Parts: sequence; C-alpha cells; structure tokens
Amino acid sequence: MQEMYPKKGRVILHVDMNSFYASVEMAYDSSLKGKPLAIAGNVEERRGIIVTCSYEARRFGVKTTMPLWEAKKLCPQLIVKSPDFDKYRTASVAMFDLLRQYTSLVEPVSIDEGYMDITECHEMGSPIEIAKSIQQRIFQTLDLPCSIGIAPNKFLAKTASDMKKPMGITILRKRDVPDKLWPLGVTEMHGIGEKTAEKLESIGVRTIGDLSQANEMQLRHALGINGLKLKNRANGEDNRGVDPDSIYEHKSVGNSTTLPYDSTNEKELLTVIHTLSEKVAFRLKRKNLAGQKIGITIRFKNRKTITRSKTLLNPITSHKNISEEAKALFKIHWNGDAVRLLGVTAFEVIEKQEAFKQLDIFSYQQDAKKEPLFSAIEKLQAKYGKKALQKGTDYTGGTSANMGAETSFSKDFLDRQR
Amino acid sequence: MRFIIQRDRLIQSVQDVMKAVTSRTTIPILTGIKITATEEGVTFTGSDSDISIESFIPAEEGGDEIVEIKETGSIVLQARFFSEIVKKLPLGTVEMQVTNSFQTIIRSGKAEFNLNGLDADEYPHLPQIEEEKTLKLPADLLKTLIRQTVFAVSTSETRPILTGVNWKIENGQIICIATDSHRLAMRSAPIEGEEQSSYSVVIPGKSLNELSKILDDTTDLIDIVITENQVLFKAKHLLFFSRLLEGNYPDTSRLIPTESKTDVVVHTKDFLQAIDRASLLAREGRNNVVKLSTMDGGFLEISSNTPEIGKVIEEVQTETIDGEELKISFSAKYMMDALKTLEGTEIRVKFTGAMRPFVIHSLNDETITQLILPVRTY
Repeated sequence: MQEMYPKKGRVILHVDMNSFYASVEMAYDSSLKGKPLAIAGNVEERRGIIVTCSYEARRFGVKTTMPLWEAKKLCPQLIVKSPDFDKYRTASVAMFDLLRQYTSLVEPVSIDEGYMDITECHEMGSPIEIAKSIQQRIFQTLDLPCSIGIAPNKFLAKTASDMKKPMGITILRKRDVPDKLWPLGVTEMHGIGEKTAEKLESIGVRTIGDLSQANEMQLRHALGINGLKLKNRANGEDNRGVDPDSIYEHKSVGNSTTLPYDSTNEKELLTVIHTLSEKVAFRLKRKNLAGQKIGITIRFKNRKTITRSKTLLNPITSHKNISEEAKALFKIHWNGDAVRLLGVTAFEVIEKQEAFKQLDIFSYQQDAKKEPLFSAIEKLQAKYGKKALQKGTDYTGGTSANMGAETSFSKDFLDRQR
Repeated sequence: MRFIIQRDRLIQSVQDVMKAVTSRTTIPILTGIKITATEEGVTFTGSDSDISIESFIPAEEGGDEIVEIKETGSIVLQARFFSEIVKKLPLGTVEMQVTNSFQTIIRSGKAEFNLNGLDADEYPHLPQIEEEKTLKLPADLLKTLIRQTVFAVSTSETRPILTGVNWKIENGQIICIATDSHRLAMRSAPIEGEEQSSYSVVIPGKSLNELSKILDDTTDLIDIVITENQVLFKAKHLLFFSRLLEGNYPDTSRLIPTESKTDVVVHTKDFLQAIDRASLLAREGRNNVVKLSTMDGGFLEISSNTPEIGKVIEEVQTETIDGEELKISFSAKYMMDALKTLEGTEIRVKFTGAMRPFVIHSLNDETITQLILPVRTY
C-alpha cells in the first residue's frame, strides 16, 4: 500500500460529523429519521436559534443560527428539540475512540470534528480505504453519518470534508487547488468571515484565486500576518501538524449568554455576571485550573462588542472571587447602554497545583489559620504519597459535566477522554 | 532674554529638570521647560504638577563665569526638543536669545535653531513653602534611605497610600517604611536637632526615585522642608518639590513580628546567589516562587520546580539554624530585592511559620528591617 502514500509529506483526514446533534437524536429515536428536525436553544425565549438541523430541514431553507420563528415560517412541520448534551458527549467520545483505533494521531477540534494523521497507516490500506472503513464503522456502530476529507494538510482536508455532505469522501490534492478552489469566493474558505472578506474586497480580492496571487504588502497591511497565512492556504499550503494534545492546552475558560431582552438594568446585568462567573468557576474547578486574568465581554444593542480584562496578582478559582472581579470590570467599563450579551472569561489559566497565592500582610492571618491543617496534610502526603489525601476541592472524579455548557458545545468533556 | 552659557552645565540642568517633565499632562504648558534669566544667573524649571524641579546656574562660580547674561527675561520651550537640541550642539558654549513673539534662537558654533516658545507668564507658580518643619540629612544617607525602602512601594493604585514611602520623624529618629502589602522595608536613622518633633508624612515613591537620580553621592547636607501637603528638598542650586500623599498610612509597627520560631544565620552573598540560581527556572513574570527547607546539619535547601521546564535543588550551608524545622515558599524576586539592600556579610532571617511573615536583618544591625510574606499553594 506504500505506493498510495506520498514519499514525503503527510496524509491528513478531516472527519466531520454531519448535522451531529440532529443525527444523534435520530440515532436514539429512529422515528425522527427522514423528518425535518432542528435542535434549538431555549425554545420560548428570543435566543432560541437553530443550533443544527437535519438535511430534511435544510431542504426547506432552514439554516444553523437562524432564529426559531423564522425557521418555523419556512417549515411549519419542523420538529424542534432542545439540546441534550449528555447524549452528544457520549456519541462524541465513542466516535473519537473509534478514530483512535486507526492511529493515536487524532486531534479533536470540537465535539463533532477532528483531524487524523494517517501517514504511517499504510498497512491498513490506502487512504481512501481507511476513510471508507472509518465512515462505515461510524455509521454501522453509532448510526451516525460523517464526511471525510483526504488531503496532504489540515486546511485542504477540512475544505475537502466540506465538499460532499452527507456521507461524502473527498480527496483534495494540492494540484486540484487551482481548479477546485480558486474559482470560489473567499468566503468559501475556512478562516474567512464577513469582516475579513470585506477587508479583502477593499484590496480587490474576491475569489480564492485572487487571494492566492494577492500582493503580500497589501495583504499584510489589510490583515496583518494573518493575511500571509491566508494566502498560503489559498495556495493549498498549511504546515500545521496534527496535535493530539492541542485540546488539552487550556488558554481560557469562558461563558457568555445572550440576554432574553436587551437590558439597561444594572442589577439584572450584575446578576447575569454572577451566574456566568459561577459557571466559569465550576468549569475551572472541574478541570483543576486557576485563572490569572479575568475578562468580560459586553455586546451592546447595536452589536458593538467590547472585551475588557484585568491581570490578577493571585490566580483565582472561586465563584466569589471571579464574580467580584468580573463585576468590578463591568462597573468600570459599562457605559449604561442597553446590553444584548454578556460574557465572563478566565484567561491564562494554569494547573491549580502550579498556582500560588501571595500572602498579604494585612490578611495573612486568615490563611495562617489553616496552617496546622496544611502541615498535617503535607506530612501524610510525604509518608503515604500525594494521592493518599487531597483537599476536597481537588477531587475531580464523578462531577456532572452538564454545567457551564448550554447552547454552544463545550469541549471540556474531551479533557477526560484519554 | 539673551545669554551665553556653558553647554555642559546647561545639559546637566536640563537633564535634572526633565525628570519632572512628562508628555502625559493635562496642562499643555507643562510639557515645556521654563527658563528664567536674571542678573544672578539662569533658572530652569520642570514640573508635572506632582513633582517640580528647579535647577539654578549661577552667572559666576568660584571666580569663573558660567553664564554671560546679556538681557534678563524668561521663556518656556518644548522640553522634548530643547533637551535633545542641547545634547547635540557642537560647541562648548551656547547662546540663547528670545526674539519677538517668543521665537527663541539657540546658537552654538555654526548651528542655529529657531524654536517656537511659550509665554513664561502662563507657566504655573511653584508651591509656596513656609518653612515649618525642616530637617537636614547628608545627600548620601538620604539616597541610601531611599534605595533601601522605595523598591517596596506598591505599583497598584488599589491602595494609593501604599504607592508612597511613610517617613516618620520621632524621638530624634527618621523611620522610612514602604510596603506593597506583600513585603515591607523599613529603615531608621538618627537625625540631629529634631529630638522634640514628631510627625509623619507619605512621599510618593516615584518622587523619591527621581530625587535619588538627581542627587550626587556627597556628604553635603540636604535641607528637607515639610508642609501640610508638600515636601521640598533643597540642595545646592537645586530645589525639588513633591506633593505628599493624602490619607493615613497603615500602622505597620504591630505587623512586624517580634519573636521567631525558626532562626537562620547565613552568609548574605551565598544565600542571594542560591536564590538567584533557583529562580532561573521559576517562570518569568509569575510569582517567581522558590522553596526553602531547613535540613539537618545546618543546611538550607533552596529549590524550585516548574513542571514544563525542569527543577533545581541547591543546599546552602548556614552559620546556625535554631528552632523548629520549616518548609516555606516565597517570591525569589522579593527575597533578592530585600537582600540587595542589606549591608554586612551575614544576615539573620527570623521565620514565624510557613504562612506568616518573616523578617530579615543584617546580623549586627537592626536599623534595616526587610519583611516578606510567603506564598501558599492552592
């Protein structure tokens, strides 16, 4: 099989589950199969937007992020379910476990997609045979459809998996790029959103082909270093490796929520921040992390969004501390305009074992009170090992993974998959 | 205004008053330096309204003519440009002349600058100081007092009073105290002629840092005049004004432990170097934590562990270790800052427990006290 693999370079698969939440629901309840199904956040409230929908619903024009009322107008018989993350998590874990049977080089990107590096897998067959096998086994054992892209790098693999849905397998070689990608508009490219597209438009770049030939000076001016990266991608180049650990590197832990209605009521907004802080604290605790920087996001009625943060002297973990810092930031930076969305994030998170609290001359007595306890723990740990005795807050087994994730998926659960 | 001045003296004075000038000011004219020429000499003034510095260059000193005054008067020139210009002028003498509408000519050799000046009458007046409380300190002692304490002031505005150094004058002594609430530095020194007075002020740390840069290491006496809300330092040809911080400085005397549970005497340089080495692997920009453990045989173990980088362990031989055994973690930076201020070859460290402040002194000199709060793990 060696001849089916490049002599140098890599073979990357991008496995993308098709309308994952809806497919999982259908796998659980086969009576839903073949019907227009949508998964949406809070059904009664305004933030009820479509998180995902089945292909049957898409045929009516229903799309992800569409408000529920609009979707119902397009498709009155639409079946709407609220998300059940426990189900999706279970399915996701099973899916990634299956992928890891082929290679340990599996990088989960989110709950329903991941990259695999199968360069060294020639004994299992040609890349396309492996892709077929993966697709069939996921379909047979989990009853879930997926699309797979096969390419020499991540960018092309991801682009390829998007080309044929559902249940597609697409090979995209670098030599296919001029024919298949260049005629497309830049917004078709991963990593280019509306804002970036606008900026590219201003320097006359409309298609991926334009981008592949664009002037680097202009690109750098319009988009900074990211501009050059995008140009490389447009030429089918992407040197990012598949990193199974990337999901475990925490940089920030944050939660946000769109309010049921735009609010100018400070008390109400602070309550929301309090609740978000609780979720952040919960997730930090579950992952045994501490944040060294606390930030807030405020999106105003006119969609203008600001983020503000503060670096802390001591890393914090508790709901109380996070809430205090977030509220203080909010009070400083809120201009009184109606707020549409609020977010609280702990940045620069570190493992709690590595975190230190610098004691304060005016308050160290509080910490010193626990000194006898800590020294007793230390002595026992020295004698019987670190695991023999841990502080209650360090115990992470068996907590519910449900909190802190609502409409958007949370990747937290992938942490303990290994 | 018109005068001819020696360039090196001009540079020195301009550099000194520049210490008070900031580009970030709400009063635009304060981005300038005020220059006033009288028959006696030329005065330069810079201010950011917190600190004001006045430097005087006499027309004549020790029989030498330093400034030739041709016409008295005053002007304000943009500090940023003026200070750069004087540094780069070609000859040893500089002629300055104000023509109509505040245009100022700066001439040296064949170089001629024409700077737009501002009306000196618009420049704010310096604080009026009534000489109520004065004390005198030699410049070198004053600089030492500052160096040994000011590093410990707070850089955060959460408790503004802690951004200053507390000067207490009582019982014929001056006591300087600074704390950012994680460490504390205290230095006392006797002062003459002030046995009866007792008062306390808080001087912004920034002011003291700038003052220290300007003063020469001499035994010349500096007059220090303290009023309700200003302090003035008077040296030869130099006036340094600073605003005082308002508010009560916390009473720190009760915060400094008097007894000790573990008492260590160690060679200062050995200890400092071991801490320095151990901190190499402690992460940059973080708390920079090292761990100290007492060991049998009069050894201290200094260690640091950063999982993704590596770890380091070093044993330091002490003179003596008395009292309970101890494991304590603290900021290497705070420890090094403190050790660098201590004179003498040996130090005594008095620990009172793993989560309590500890005190460092020179072995036979208790006029300097350095106190550090440890860190604890979560």
